Amino acid sequence: MKGIEIQFPGVKALDGVDFSLRRGEVHALLGENGAGKSTLIKCLTGVNKMDAGKIELEGKEIRPTDPKNAMDLGISTVFQEINLCDNLSVAENIFIGRQPIRRGQIDWKEINRRSQELLERFKIHIDVTRPLSQYSTAIQQMVSIARAVDVDAKVLILDEPTSSLDNEEVKRLFDVMRDLKAQGMGIIFITHFLDQVFEMSDRLTVLRNGHLIGVYNANEITKLELVSSMIGKDLDEIFDLKRAAQKPDAKMMLDADHIGVPGKVEDISFNQKQGELLGFAGLLGSGRTETAEMLFGVTKMQNGDLKVAGIPVKIGEPMDAINHKIAFCPEDRKRDGIIGDLTIRENIALALQARRGMMKPMSRKEQDELADKYIKMLSIATPDAEKKIKELSGGNQQKVILARWMATEPDLLILDEPTRGIDVGAKAEIQRLMLQMCEEGMSIIFISSELDEIIRCSNRIIVMRDGKKAGELSGENCTQADIMRIIAGEKDGETA
Amino acid sequence: MKKSKESIFKSKLAWAVVAELLILLVAGILEPNFFHIEYNATTGMFYGSLIDIVNRSAEITIIAMGMTMVIALGGTDISVGALVAVAGAFALKLLRWDVTLYPTPGDYTIKPFILVILVPLLICTAMGLFNGVLIGKFKLQPIIATLILMVAGRGIAQIATNGKQFTTGYTPFRFIGQGSMFGLPFPIVITIVVCAAVMIFVRKTAFGTFVESVGVNPNASRVTGLKSDKIIMIVYTLTGFLSGVAGLIYSSRISSCDSNNAGVNYEMDAILAVVLGGTSMTGGKFSLVGTIIGSLIIRTITTLVYYFGITSESIMAFKAVIILIVIVIQSEPVGKWLATRQARRQKVGELRG
Amino acid sequence: MDKKKSNKLVNFVTNPKYLMVLATIGIFLVIYAAGIIMYGDKGFAKLRTFMMLFVDNAYIGISAVGMTMVLITGGIDLSVAAVASLTGMFIAYGTTVLGLDPVLCMAFAILVGVLLGLGMGALVTYLKIPPFVATLTGMFLARGVCSLISRESISINNELIDKMAGWKLYFMKYSGGEWVKIKPVAYINLNVVLFIVMIIIGTIILQKTRFGRNVYAVGGNEQSARLMGLPVDKTKMMVYGFNGFCSALAGIAYALYVKSGWNLALQGGELDVISAAVIGGVLLSGGVGYMIGTFFGVLLKAVIPSLITFNGTLSSWWGKIITGALVLLFVALQQIVMHGKLFKKKGTPHKKE
Repeated sequence: MKGIEIQFPGVKALDGVDFSLRRGEVHALLGENGAGKSTLIKCLTGVNKMDAGKIELEGKEIRPTDPKNAMDLGISTVFQEINLCDNLSVAENIFIGRQPIRRGQIDWKEINRRSQELLERFKIHIDVTRPLSQYSTAIQQMVSIARAVDVDAKVLILDEPTSSLDNEEVKRLFDVMRDLKAQGMGIIFITHFLDQVFEMSDRLTVLRNGHLIGVYNANEITKLELVSSMIGKDLDEIFDLKRAAQKPDAKMMLDADHIGVPGKVEDISFNQKQGELLGFAGLLGSGRTETAEMLFGVTKMQNGDLKVAGIPVKIGEPMDAINHKIAFCPEDRKRDGIIGDLTIRENIALALQARRGMMKPMSRKEQDELADKYIKMLSIATPDAEKKIKELSGGNQQKVILARWMATEPDLLILDEPTRGIDVGAKAEIQRLMLQMCEEGMSIIFISSELDEIIRCSNRIIVMRDGKKAGELSGENCTQADIMRIIAGEKDGETA
Repeated sequence: MKKSKESIFKSKLAWAVVAELLILLVAGILEPNFFHIEYNATTGMFYGSLIDIVNRSAEITIIAMGMTMVIALGGTDISVGALVAVAGAFALKLLRWDVTLYPTPGDYTIKPFILVILVPLLICTAMGLFNGVLIGKFKLQPIIATLILMVAGRGIAQIATNGKQFTTGYTPFRFIGQGSMFGLPFPIVITIVVCAAVMIFVRKTAFGTFVESVGVNPNASRVTGLKSDKIIMIVYTLTGFLSGVAGLIYSSRISSCDSNNAGVNYEMDAILAVVLGGTSMTGGKFSLVGTIIGSLIIRTITTLVYYFGITSESIMAFKAVIILIVIVIQSEPVGKWLATRQARRQKVGELRG
Repeated sequence: MDKKKSNKLVNFVTNPKYLMVLATIGIFLVIYAAGIIMYGDKGFAKLRTFMMLFVDNAYIGISAVGMTMVLITGGIDLSVAAVASLTGMFIAYGTTVLGLDPVLCMAFAILVGVLLGLGMGALVTYLKIPPFVATLTGMFLARGVCSLISRESISINNELIDKMAGWKLYFMKYSGGEWVKIKPVAYINLNVVLFIVMIIIGTIILQKTRFGRNVYAVGGNEQSARLMGLPVDKTKMMVYGFNGFCSALAGIAYALYVKSGWNLALQGGELDVISAAVIGGVLLSGGVGYMIGTFFGVLLKAVIPSLITFNGTLSSWWGKIITGALVLLFVALQQIVMHGKLFKKKGTPHKKE
């Protein structure tokens, strides 16, 4: 296999980028958001049309016209967002479009049997005849990988496959990837998790702004070098983040006493001071997001007592929380965050407008000023405020959502995975911003799957497990191992 | 790039205006008297085809004001036609409360007369609220939730009048649909007042933005603190009320009520008016001015086709053809094709990121 | 072994995929049983009554087969009744006025139906026009053309049509040494055969062919279906084309049933068809539905007017109100099943090992 070459001279999304993949290789594709990774993948799978350049597979030039065609040619893809039909059964999702036919009819038994076998390889034991919607995001992700793997592919493209998996699941995925690699499949692996890059890949290709920055052998480059080639900024700047100092006289901001929603999270008690950054760690589905949603009234709190700034409050819906100067950036940006068809300006002004109420509209001038202020402050990359938010990249969308809530000048800001799926540069910016806001007296609840960023930023860390609070650690002198021990259930109790 | 998206939206409105002008042009060529407007000094009223078009489009325009926001929310309301019948039935029932005592359709009404206006409006508003509660609170599919009243509404209208078709000669009531003010037919005056009131309510408060926001992404809107269910309920209730207004105009025009035929296909016409006006059926940004033009287009076509001496049922075929042309021109792929032709370079720039 | 079987049964019943269909069948049986208890003495329990449900509603059922597929893709078709009425008109006008061969007329009608379906499908698929609007245009067009052909009801006088309409298969019993018709006579006619054959064909298409599964995938998540490499556009086109075919076939069945063609025939029939499918458990937002559910939906919807007729005192519009209530009930049920506990995401079962 000679490998693949693509060139796109003339197109700025990808400007003359070469890329090659060897048989039996895991090749990581890295770059910030908007660097052109997705565009490259879309060209390979025929979603986007190339303006120039060519793709060669095993020495023959190919021109994929659509994903189906690419699949027939031997290029199989798992896209970043789960692209399955959750009304269909698990098995059917794996086999749809290429169902085995027996005597002119779809052979359902065969489909179910083979799906079961396939998922066993991932050590997933579920009823494959049930609708996919009954299973968690992680399983759905595994199913979409299973689907891609089962096609007789020469090239497998995995676009952020691990972002919704926990460590155990990632391990299983990696095992499967190693298997496939051994069978001679070439794998293109896109991820933001640098550790995983080093763990899995043989070579790395880095893109920035549609340009090829370099191709490296994984064992010949350090993490720092890699990061610097991705974002092209001074490294010191990124890791020079200091935890916000705690003021000893800070007032109590939040006081939660055995709060909970039966069946989701139960019996959560914690408190938070003004200007404190409280990290929430835990696996996916451990109750982090559920706690945040409860605090903000997205789901109604049913048990326990909550005090905001010392005053007992009842929060039944988001408006109540907003009135108590709480703000919330949700985890699922696309579903709960952005209002896609509205402009950046309207998206930024929305929460403030909601608080002011319908009858006190903000003038156009007020909105413009507000939007301009935050576009500048958060350096949102957009020509102007009248662009629709759905046309921005993920990181910039996240900044707009952040701006929306900063505009309400909250006392408590809840950030659920604010750095997920965005590039290293934007990540560092958001972290710096959080710390700056804490310095200015805002309290922040910070939920993240990445332990190092939690440890780096938090004053205190609450660890969640199975819908309950499993432990509490001080941010100053805790290690990833401490947190993982609590998550794993080896150690319980408060060590504040 | 700045106006890339906005211009598509605006151009939808522009297309609607162009379409209306083209139809008028055709009308003018076929019938030179079409634009003639005459002032009759004795009645103090203007006459002419154009006045007639605006006058006759009153019901649809009024309903379509509410329908615009219903569609902006990503919904539909197919019960409006039935509510038109309900309003007429209750108004006439009140006008002819005791048919055995007053057998002739004369001047009798229950006192005070204002009840004849208020009670039907109140009932229609309540029915609108019913739709709103089903859709906003219980999250039913709009087309199905309103289907319920579409079917049941005419049944209720039948109960109100015992299945009878009353007529009335009561002058104050007939004024609503047949009278005139400032030289204009009274329905036009009502339409202007209603449209102005709705526009002020929508654009001078934040309500319009809230509706668009909920229409685009109800989940995110809720998390942002908007009370989506309340907004949905307001919109459907308003549409119910406006259908009531249209129902009163209609029944006043025919001085009668007709539970079977009043408002038939009004939901279709109102939805088409909205779509012709450039508001997308998938929800989101909406244009009330566009809707008014859309409603005028529909009426102009109807009037024009009458000039050909074609019967009312066959008009549907002509409506279909013209609507087809307009929706094809307005459709996303065609719009994109036109846009790329105009602004290839900008597109290339946008691909980035 | 037994336990495993009962587990399987529990699994089957609680599987939300089947729950709606089971609910439809259950409610139909309950209502039918209630009818037998209340009006058994008047003959409700007789086979004839049951078979008349089929005979009187076969054309709705035939159309519902196509509608089910359209609804599963997440679309809707409002033109079905208009297309059926146009078909009836073609046959009536062709045979009676022009004296053409009825087979030719039927073939032509089916061709027109399929072409109309494909046309609307193209609007929906390629121009991204909302199905509601595209098929509304189709409905206007079909009705308009129908009115252009004739505004009068034309009765059909044709030997072959009479023969087809008159063909009946009687239920017999063996009594006194010979086969006699059971009393009161119960029979199935050509329409019933067509209805049942179409339901079977529909089931096979949906469950046993790749095309059928693609229909579900498109309705579940069109974007995903596209990225999974499924022929989304082709699937949608075929579904609308097939629905056009079903509409025309329903038109033929209706023509055989009433033996006439009329431009205003089947007004509002599209709502009958849609509500039959909804009562049969088809999810309006797409992705969920079964032909067998639609089959029972048609029967359930049919048994209500039948009960009202047996009652004798209730006026007929109660039928509509009850249909409305049933739709409300089923949509509410769908909400509970789809968004309630049963469909909630479960935790990752394999997590703890």
